[in-house]
Amino acid sequence: MASIYGEYGPALRKVMNRLTSELESFNLAHTREHGESLYDHLSGRIKDEESMREKLRRRGLEESTRCALRDIQDAVGIRVVCRFIDDVYETVRLIRGIPGCTVVLEKDYIRNAKENGYRSYHIILEAETDEPDPEGRTPGRFFAEIQLRTIAMDTWAALEHELKYKKDLGNMALVGQELRRCANELAACDVSMQTLRRIIRGPEAPGKVNAV
Amino acid sequence: MKILFAEDEHDLRDVVTAYLELQGHTVTAVENGQQALRAAMSDAFDAILMDVMMPVMDGLTAMRAIRESGNTMPALFLTAKGEVSDRVEGLDAGADDYLTKPFALEELNARLRALDRRRRDYRVRVLSFGSLQLDTEASELRARNAIGLSQKEVRLLCCLLSNTDRYISADELLREVWPGESAGEETVIMYISFLGDKMKSIQADAFIEADRERGFRLREVQNV
Repeated sequence: MASIYGEYGPALRKVMNRLTSELESFNLAHTREHGESLYDHLSGRIKDEESMREKLRRRGLEESTRCALRDIQDAVGIRVVCRFIDDVYETVRLIRGIPGCTVVLEKDYIRNAKENGYRSYHIILEAETDEPDPEGRTPGRFFAEIQLRTIAMDTWAALEHELKYKKDLGNMALVGQELRRCANELAACDVSMQTLRRIIRGPEAPGKVNAV
Repeated sequence: MKILFAEDEHDLRDVVTAYLELQGHTVTAVENGQQALRAAMSDAFDAILMDVMMPVMDGLTAMRAIRESGNTMPALFLTAKGEVSDRVEGLDAGADDYLTKPFALEELNARLRALDRRRRDYRVRVLSFGSLQLDTEASELRARNAIGLSQKEVRLLCCLLSNTDRYISADELLREVWPGESAGEETVIMYISFLGDKMKSIQADAFIEADRERGFRLREVQNV
């Protein structure tokens, strides 16, 4: 079977590599300036063929290259895992300034956690690349989704992902409820560590708590 | 209500039991303090009704032992008329109220209802302020999201939530939240910061105002 991405596979990889190296250079600059990295780790992937086809079917869309690249916006996916919540927002701020990229949508599931407890920051970008796109534009424009979260949120999401594929669990409701509680406890730790880091660093802290 | 009733005079025991049952209560009637203690240890009751003077084990001794075991159920003593010392000792032993014999059955029932009402009032589970909701049982704070709180944070927020009309000083908070602990103003400030950041992270429409002179107070944020 021909690739769902048609002839655009290399262009997608180019977009992914470009965004990854932009993030890596932010990290380098941040490390030089502050003596510590902006994020813990970074990973990128092109959504695999079968998941893309499944997503198109689920959305009732045609299984075509055009739909895969225009109607679905996470063919290119990048995940940034930070240690502190402030680092997530700092990375988001830097991403907004990447040249040749337009922010299409931002979803802050950290401040607005999903009902099940999921927390992450999602940004959908439209990135320019010198290759043509399915609409014949050169430079072409391709979507990419960047997900940012803390290590705690990442660990939680891995567990929740596992649960999603376990439909036969008898005590599903209980597991879901406890998972939600864990998400809230992890969030509590993330926020407390953020507070402590600010107190440790702040010159006038811990006195500086007006209108917290 | 499920009531444990200890009384050695069996005529009185029968009359009171019959009356309380008629009022819809479930009554476990025993003859002395020892039996009352045994019953209290093996079953859960909503209230205990106890005579002071009883053979084998008196009511005061039984009451002290029940409280020492950690049982906090409402307790009402039945004392002889004029015995001030009985009433004082009874209250000191852990009773919440007393009735002097002879008493009116209606009054007994009303006092039991009052004790029950107070007990329920103490168990406020969810406190709220604006969109902020503190679930004291789950140690969870909710607004747009939910976040877990530590025990100290729950107690600290309870203090702030029940005094929203005034400032509470760091000293007052130390007495309420860290009684008998070697904590100082810095601890209070740190925990105020923890709470403030947690409130912000769930997008609460409230914040903690810190005033160097007067202390701390919860405030609503306008136009969030």
